[in-house]
Amino acid sequence: MAPKINVLIVDDSRTVLGHHAHVLSEIEGLSIVGTARDGAGAIRMATEARPDLVLMDIVMPGLDGLSALRTIKSMHPEIAVAMVSSIGGDVAKAEEAFRLGACQVLAKPCDVEQLETLVEAVRVARQGERTEAGGAL
Amino acid sequence: MAVRFFGQFLIDQGEVDADQVRIALDLMEDENPTIGEIAIDEGFLSARQAALVSAEQRVHYLAFGDLAVEMGFLDPTELEQVLFRQRSQRVLIGDALARLGFVEWDRLGTLLDAYKVDQASYQVGARNLPEALERHRAPGFVIELLPEFLMRFAQIHAKVGDVVPFSSGSCHAEVKVSVSIEGASHLLITLVSDRSFAEALAVAASGLGTGARDADLIVDGVGEFLNVLVGNAIAASAREAHRFDLGPPEYDADPGEGWAVGLAVGVGAAALLFAVA
Repeated sequence: MAPKINVLIVDDSRTVLGHHAHVLSEIEGLSIVGTARDGAGAIRMATEARPDLVLMDIVMPGLDGLSALRTIKSMHPEIAVAMVSSIGGDVAKAEEAFRLGACQVLAKPCDVEQLETLVEAVRVARQGERTEAGGAL
Repeated sequence: MAVRFFGQFLIDQGEVDADQVRIALDLMEDENPTIGEIAIDEGFLSARQAALVSAEQRVHYLAFGDLAVEMGFLDPTELEQVLFRQRSQRVLIGDALARLGFVEWDRLGTLLDAYKVDQASYQVGARNLPEALERHRAPGFVIELLPEFLMRFAQIHAKVGDVVPFSSGSCHAEVKVSVSIEGASHLLITLVSDRSFAEALAVAASGLGTGARDADLIVDGVGEFLNVLVGNAIAASAREAHRFDLGPPEYDADPGEGWAVGLAVGVGAAALLFAVA
């Protein structure tokens, strides 16, 4: 059976939180385990809820998305983090995000299909990890 | 779709994954000399001058070469020569991925053509702007991209008017949302509108329908639209080696003094204001 994917959404905009939640609710086998509106909240929620995937903005008040990405990947390398940002297409920012361990960097506005592809990639990766773990036992 | 670089496009197309892009970026970092390194190699800069420019870069949002010219270490002709050498020798992300065997060389041309089609709409046409806006570069992209993003976000038709001087006391809009861009100069971009334009934009941006909105959500939705518009303009201008940082939206800030761009829109009334500090 395909593993369920738990998602944490991080964006300072209520509009985006609502939009992502609306779009993701259409994808089967996915659960939104929390939302946060800045980088510090993202780190806290990632530790508490242990999502499979974090969708995170870059430009946020307080701790920004790239700083939060660095911390989350150092504390929980198993969590996939995708940056979804209006400046995601800025090549320097995108390269920095990839170097910090992002699994994808999407520029807003992104399509529903891009989010579906992203979730599916995380699901396949999780399935692979579980198969490997099972084989090792 | 939005402004994106070739590596992101290839991931979206399922041609490569993020780990492969990371490996390619490492290869590029190893093999692509910086502007400073080329300028030293050409004998235009000393190592000490390059270090001074790098240190100054931490407080100035200027590209290394522009800052070196401003600091009097390089002249514009030397900078041109250095940039030309960097462009002609640079290993690009597609080349790096192909060299590493992640993309077939034969397929690279086809993928680049598809990428060019994907990004064709994010170009800046000819528009006369006041010198301060022309120099900043990002405003040109913001103005050019605005009608396309309004249509995509909210199916709102928009026509951009002339750029005219604007003074702070003349703004009495119902909704006022700003974002700031830090670059060589500080630029505040403010979208002002009446309520019906803001509502139409916010409802479309949230995808939540007309029943789920409140006043805060309306300005939040306008802020998100402005954020996406300006963020894409920054990404597009970054391709020309302009370096900017974007701040989060501010609500009801003083739009300052500068230039206004009137918008003829299908819903309500709106304008964009640019204030350069």
